[in-house]
Amino acid sequence: MRVRVANVVTIARREYLVRARTRSFKAATIFLVVAAVLVTLAPLAVRWLDRDSSAKVGVHVSTTLAFDPIARLDTTINLPATPGGKGPFTFSTVADPTAGRDAVAKGDLSALLEVARGASGDLAFTIVSKDGPTLRIPTVLRQGSSVLATTDRLLRGGYPADKLDALGVPPSVSVVGPTPPKPGDQPKDFAGEIGSVLTGQALVIFLFMAIILYGQWVAMSVAEEKSSRVMEIVLNAASPFELLAGKVLGVGSLGLTQYAMAIVPAVIALLLQDRIASLVLGETAASGAPAASGLTPALLLAFAVLFVLGFLLYAVLYAAAGSLVSRIEDINSVVAPMTIVGMAGYLIAVYTSSGLIPADAGWVVVLSYVPFVSPYLMLSRFAAGLAGPLDLAIASGLLVIAIIVCLWVAARIYAAGVLTYGQKPSARALFTAAFARRG
Amino acid sequence: MSLQITDLRKRFGETQALDGITFGVEPGQVFGFLGANGAGKTTTMRIVLDILRADSGTVTWQGRPSTNLPRRTFGYLPEERGLYPRMQVLEQLVFFAGLYGVPRKAAAAEVRGWLARFRVPEYADRRAEELSKGNQQKIQFIAAVLHDPDVLIMDEPFSGLDPVNVALLKAAFLEMRERGKTLIFSTHQMETVEELCDAVAIIDAGRLVANGPTADVKRASGKRVVRLGVAGDPELAWLAELDGVRVGRSGRDYSEVEVVPPRDPETILHAAIEHGERVTRFEIADPSLEQVFVDLVGRQAAPDEERTLADLSGNGRA
Repeated sequence: MRVRVANVVTIARREYLVRARTRSFKAATIFLVVAAVLVTLAPLAVRWLDRDSSAKVGVHVSTTLAFDPIARLDTTINLPATPGGKGPFTFSTVADPTAGRDAVAKGDLSALLEVARGASGDLAFTIVSKDGPTLRIPTVLRQGSSVLATTDRLLRGGYPADKLDALGVPPSVSVVGPTPPKPGDQPKDFAGEIGSVLTGQALVIFLFMAIILYGQWVAMSVAEEKSSRVMEIVLNAASPFELLAGKVLGVGSLGLTQYAMAIVPAVIALLLQDRIASLVLGETAASGAPAASGLTPALLLAFAVLFVLGFLLYAVLYAAAGSLVSRIEDINSVVAPMTIVGMAGYLIAVYTSSGLIPADAGWVVVLSYVPFVSPYLMLSRFAAGLAGPLDLAIASGLLVIAIIVCLWVAARIYAAGVLTYGQKPSARALFTAAFARRG
Repeated sequence: MSLQITDLRKRFGETQALDGITFGVEPGQVFGFLGANGAGKTTTMRIVLDILRADSGTVTWQGRPSTNLPRRTFGYLPEERGLYPRMQVLEQLVFFAGLYGVPRKAAAAEVRGWLARFRVPEYADRRAEELSKGNQQKIQFIAAVLHDPDVLIMDEPFSGLDPVNVALLKAAFLEMRERGKTLIFSTHQMETVEELCDAVAIIDAGRLVANGPTADVKRASGKRVVRLGVAGDPELAWLAELDGVRVGRSGRDYSEVEVVPPRDPETILHAAIEHGERVTRFEIADPSLEQVFVDLVGRQAAPDEERTLADLSGNGRA
C-alpha cells in the first residue's frame, strides 16, 4: 500500500478550511472562548459576590466571664479566608434570649449561642439554629464553644489573661516520607498537592471533552461525505487510507486550533487572576489560583503527548464508525461503544484523582497502560506524581501500537463501508470487512 | 488492444457478480457498456478503476496492470452522484484536481473553461447545493475530466438530464474523443449508444453476451428488419401469417417486421407483390440495439439498485 502524502495533506486541508468556515464552528468557538474565560474567573466572581456576606450569630451570656467572648471567637474561629478580609461570621451580643430565638426563627440571625454556667462551674452552651447539628454553622459554633470553655477554665485556674492570644498560634508540624528526599525533589506542601490534583482532574476533563467532541466531528465528516455521495469521486483519486488519514489530521488540527483558542485566554485569565483579584477585591495578596500551581512543563508535555495519541486512536475508530452509516442521524448508535469505553476511562481517572478509588490499586495501575483508557489514567497518575516518564513512555508506546492496529482495521472497514448504502452493518459483516483476504 | 479486461471474476457473498468477463476497448473509442439491473456494470467499472479488487482476472491499460497505473489515468463519473454541498463549485473542482496532482492555478483556469463550455460560467462561486440536479451533473462531469485522464469511465452519464443538457454532454463526449481520449460509459438509452458508440459490450448476470463494433453486434443476431409500406393496405394483416416473420410495429405509412433466419428478407417483397399490391416502401435494415439487447438479455434495460455492506464486505482497495 503506497500512501501519497500530498493527497493526505490536500484532504486534510479541505477538511480544515471548509469546517473552519462554517457558522456553527465560529459560533461554537466564540462560545467556548467566552465559557472558558468565565469558568476560569468564576471563583473570583464568587468571592466578589460574597465579599460582604457573613453569617450573623448572636451571643447571649447569662453568667459572668473574665474575658470578652466575641473577641475570643473572632481571634480563633472567625479568621478571614484572605488576609485583610472579613471572617465568615459577624458576632453580636444579644441581651434578651427570647428575642434572640425569635430572630433566628425569622432568619434575622443565622444562629444564637447561649452561654450559661452549669452546676459544676463549667460553662454550658446551647446553639439555637435551624440547621441540623452536623451542618456547618452548628459545627463551627461547637468548636467555638470549646474554645470559650477552655479559656474560661484557664482563667479560673490562674492563667495570665495577657498570654491568651499566644495560645492560638499554630505549632510547627512537618510531614515527611519514610525515605529521605532525593536531591532535586520539590518539598511537598498542602497547596501544591491540592493544586496538582486539581490540575490533573482539569486536564483529564479537557482530554475527555476533546476526544469525544472532535472524534464525533470525524465521524460526522465521514458520514456527510457518504450521505452526499461525493465519496466515490474522491475514491478514484485517493485511497481509502489516504482519505481516512486526511480526515483525521484535518479535523484533528481544527480541533487543536479551537482548543488552543479556548485554552490560551483561559490560562491567561488564570495567570492574571491575582492581579484581577487585587483590582476588583482590593486584596493585597490573593489566594486563588491553586490550579495553575500544578501546571509544570513536564505535565503539559505529558498532556500534549496523551492528547495527540488518544485523539488519533479514537479518531480512526470514529472514522470507521462514520463510514458504516448512510445517514447522519445514525451516527450516535455506531459511535456508542467508543463513547462508553472513553467514559469508563475518564470516570476511573476522575474518581482516582479525587481519592474515591485508591490511585495505587493494582487494577488502576494496570489499566493506566491499556490503550483507550491509558490517556486518562496515565495523565491522572502522572499529574499526581504516581507515574514517571518511563511509565508515560510505556503507555505511549502501547498507544502507538494500538493506533497502528486500529488504523489497519479501520482502513479496511472504511474501504468496505464507504461504498455501502442501505442496511445497518452486522457484527459479522464488519468482521469480514476487516479481516478478509485482499486481492 | 489498449484497455484489456481479461476473465474478471468477483463474488459478493452468495452472488457471483462477475463470471469471467473479457473484452477490450481500443484507444480513442467511444465504448458503450450495457447490461440490465445488477448485471455487473458498476462492479466492472470499479474494478477497472481499482476501487474494488477482483477475485481473479486482470485489467491492463497499454499493457500495464490497472493496480500499478497512476490514478490520473482514469476519470470517473460514478452512478452515485455527489458533490460537497456547502463548498463552492470552483473550490471543490480545484480540490478534486489537486488529488490528481493538478496545480491550483491550472485547475482553476481549466474549470472556468469547462463552465463556459457548459454555458454556466456564473456557477464558479456558487455552492453546489444551490444548483439544480442537472447542473450538478455537469459539475461532476467536469470533476471527471479536469485532470486530463486518458480513459474516461462514466456510469449512466445521461440519466436525469434534460434534452438540452444531453446535447451539451454529447458534444463534450465528441470533443474528448477528438482529443484522443477513450470513453467508456454505461447507459440505458440505446439510441444514444447507437449514435455515439464505436463499439459495445453487453453483459448479463456477470457474463459477457455480446461484444464488438456496434454495427457488428447488431448484425450478429442474424435478424434483419424489414420496413414495408403498401398503398391501400395499412394493416398488412397477411404479414403475420408468414413463417419466420414477427411484426414489430404496424403503422399508418409502413409496418416494421423482424425477419428471422433462414427466411430471406427479399421473400417478403415477393410476398407483397404476390398479394397484388403497390409497394411504396421496402427497406432492409439491422435491428435496433434496443431489440438486440432485449433478445440477448430477455428484458428491458433499467436503472440499477443499491448494494449493501454484506455484498461488498472485504473487497475494497486499502
